[in-house]
Amino acid sequence: MNNTLLELKNISYKYKNNLILNKVNLKINSGEKIALLGKSGSGKTTLISVLNGTIKPTQGEVKLFNKSFEELDRKQKSKITTIWQDLRLIEDLSAEQNVNCGLLAENNFYFAFKNLLNISSFKKAHKYMQLCRLHNSVYHKKIRKLSGGQKQRVAIARSLIQGSNILLADEPFNNLDPKLITTIKNLLLENLDKNNTKKSPKTALVALHRLDLLKDFDKVIGIRDGKIFFNIKSNNLKKLHLDKIY
Amino acid sequence: MNKLKLNYTSLSFLPILVCIPLGSQLINNIHFGGFKLFQEFLISAFNPKIDNEIIITVINRLNETILIGFFSWLVSIIFGAIFGIISSNIFYKIFNIPNFFYRIIRFFLTIIRSIHEVVWGIVLMQIYGINFSIGIIAICIPYIAVNSKVFAEQLETIDYKRFESINQINAPKFSSLLTIVWNPIINTFKNFGLYRLECSIRSTVILGLFGIGGIGTNIFLSFQTLNFRELWTYLWSLAILIILSGLIFKKIKFNTTNKIISIFFIAVFFITILFSFSYFLYFIFNNNFENFNSVSSLFKSSSDLGLFDFLKLILETIILSLLSTGIAISLPPVVIGIFNNNTSKFFIKIFAFILRLIPTPVILLILLTFNNPSLSLAALTLGLHNAGITSKLLFTNLESQDRRNYIAMKSLGISKKTSWLLGLFSQQAKSYLAYCAYRSDIIIRETAIVGVIGSIGLGWQLQESLTSFAWQEVTIVLIAYSSIAIVGELINGKIKNSLT
Repeated sequence: MNNTLLELKNISYKYKNNLILNKVNLKINSGEKIALLGKSGSGKTTLISVLNGTIKPTQGEVKLFNKSFEELDRKQKSKITTIWQDLRLIEDLSAEQNVNCGLLAENNFYFAFKNLLNISSFKKAHKYMQLCRLHNSVYHKKIRKLSGGQKQRVAIARSLIQGSNILLADEPFNNLDPKLITTIKNLLLENLDKNNTKKSPKTALVALHRLDLLKDFDKVIGIRDGKIFFNIKSNNLKKLHLDKIY
Repeated sequence: MNKLKLNYTSLSFLPILVCIPLGSQLINNIHFGGFKLFQEFLISAFNPKIDNEIIITVINRLNETILIGFFSWLVSIIFGAIFGIISSNIFYKIFNIPNFFYRIIRFFLTIIRSIHEVVWGIVLMQIYGINFSIGIIAICIPYIAVNSKVFAEQLETIDYKRFESINQINAPKFSSLLTIVWNPIINTFKNFGLYRLECSIRSTVILGLFGIGGIGTNIFLSFQTLNFRELWTYLWSLAILIILSGLIFKKIKFNTTNKIISIFFIAVFFITILFSFSYFLYFIFNNNFENFNSVSSLFKSSSDLGLFDFLKLILETIILSLLSTGIAISLPPVVIGIFNNNTSKFFIKIFAFILRLIPTPVILLILLTFNNPSLSLAALTLGLHNAGITSKLLFTNLESQDRRNYIAMKSLGISKKTSWLLGLFSQQAKSYLAYCAYRSDIIIRETAIVGVIGSIGLGWQLQESLTSFAWQEVTIVLIAYSSIAIVGELINGKIKNSLT
C-alpha cells in the first residue's frame, strides 16, 4: 500500500537568479519522523516553504495525499502545520489569541471575530499553552512583551492546537533550555488524543542543528546548496555524512 | 567658481522668493478706502458681541456644526476603513483576485479624493438644493477616499510573513483577512481617527460659508452685513470648540481590550453601515433633481468655454497652487528665524492659530476689503492659512528636538539666529519639507475654495458654470481639477519618497 503523504518530484526553486533548491526529490511517508540537517542558507527553510505550499517551485511538482496543491481543498491543506523559524506570530495580539489562531481553519468567521474581540473561549488554547509549559501569567500578554523562549512556545502551542497530521518545523528548539527541549520535542513528535494520554504516530519533518536530538527521528536528510546529499535512517548516520553537508 | 549647492535648509527658505512678484501685485492693487473696514474688523476681535440672543444662536449653530461634522466623520471613517481594505493588496492576495481590480478601485478613489469637499458641496447643492444631509454627503465623498488611502497605506506595511503564516493555517478567507487586518485598522483608527474628526468639523465650517448650515453660514452672513462684532463672536466660539475638542481628543484613549467598549464599537460600526445604506437609498429615490436633467447632459454638446480661456484658467490654478505652497513652506521658518525670542514666538503662535482658525474664504474676504481681487491675493490667502498649519508642525518639532547642537554653537559665540538655523532648523528641514510636500496636495485641492470666492482659476469658472446650469462645463472643470490634483499628488509623492 502506498502510504506516501507528501512528495516532491524534481523540485527546483530560483530566486533572483540564485538556485535555492536544485532538483529535489523527496517522499515523506505517513508516521515518519524526519530530521532535516544543513548549514544556514542551505535551503532548509525554502524546502519547508515549498512543502507547505507557501512558495511555488520554479520547476517540479509537490503532491500531498497524491494530489497537487491546486487540487486540494482548504480542509486537506489544513492537515499541514508549520512552525516557522521566525515564528510569525501576530505581535499586537495576546499569547492566547495567537494560539487560538490555530483554530481558525476548523471554525467560522464568527470565531475569528470573537477571538479578536477577546470574547471567545480560550480553554483549549490554555490547555496547549500549559502543555508547552507556559505560565498563566503570559496568557493575556501581547506577543511583543514576551521573551524569545515564551514566543517560541506560543508558536509551538499554535501549531499543536491545529491538530494536523503533518508537522513541518523550522528549528523549533531555538531559544529553549535543555529541559524544555525534551518536553517540546515529545509534544511535537507525538499526537495526543483529547485526554492527552493515548499516543498515535505523527508525520514530521523538523529542520534542526542539534545532533543529540537525532535519535528520536526515523530518518535524517542532509541538504547543501539546495541539493539533498543523503536521505538515510538515523541510526546509519556517520561523521562522513555530516562532513558532506557542514 | 564654486557651484551652487542646494540643501534641505536652503530649499526651505528659497520659496519665499514668490513674495517678490506677489508683493508687487498686491501693492498695486491696494485701495486705501477699505482700511477703515479692516481696522474695524481687527478692533472687533477684542469686543465681540455677547448677549442672550447671540449665545443661543451660537449654541444652536455649533450643535449643527458638530452634528454634521460628527456624522460625516463616522460614516467616512467606517467606509474609509472598508475601502482601505479592498484597495490594499493584502485583500487581493487572500482572495486570489487579479490585481487589475485593485488598480481600478485605487484609481477611482484617487479621482474622488482629488476634488475638494467644497466643490462636491456646491455641485450637490446645485443639483439637490440646500439640505442638511448635503453637507454630510459632500464631506463623506472625498473623506472616504482620503481615509481609505490612509488605511490602505497602513495595511501595505503588514509584514508579508504574517500573511503567509495565517494563510498557511488555511482558515476561511474572511477569518484570515479579519485576523490580519484587525490590528492595523484599529491602530490607524486610534492614531488618525480623532484628527479626522477635527478635519471634518473644519470642513463643515467651510461648507457652512457656502450655505450648508452650522456656524459657517452665520460667519458668512455676519461678514456680508459687515457685522464684525457678531463675526468675532462666532469665530471665538469656533476657537473655543477647536481648543476644547483638541483637549478632549488628547484625553480619549481607546481601550480595545475592554469587551463592552469593543462590542459598543462593533454595534456602532454595523448600525452606521445599515443607516448609511438606508439613507442612501432614501436619498436617491426621494429627490427630484430639479435642476439636473440627466447624467447624459454632462457629456452632451460642446461648451461655450473657449480653449484658450480654459487653458488660462488651468494655468492660473497651477500658479495659484505654486505661489501658495511657496508661502506655506517658507513663511514659518523665515518668521521664526527672524523673530527668535520667547515673546515673539508667543505672538507668532497666536497669529498662526488665528490663521488656522479663520476659514480661508473669510481670510480672503477680509483681505478683499483693502485689495482688489487678484491671483496674488488668493495665493496670499491660501498661503497664510496653510502657513498657520505648517508653523504649528514646525514649532512642535523644534520644541521636541535635541538642543545640544544649538547650545554648543551659541557657546562658540555664534549669533542666536545662525545657531537656530544651523543647530536646530537644519536638522528638521528634511522632515519639514516632506510634510510640506504632503501639504501641497491639500493646497492644490483648496485652490477651488479661494477660486470660488476670489474670482480666480477653475474655482471661479466652476461657480459660473454651476449658476448657469452649464453641466458640460462643470464636467470639464471637474475633470481639469481632478487631473491637476492627481498630477500634483504624483509629483509630491515622488518628492516625499525622496525625502523620507
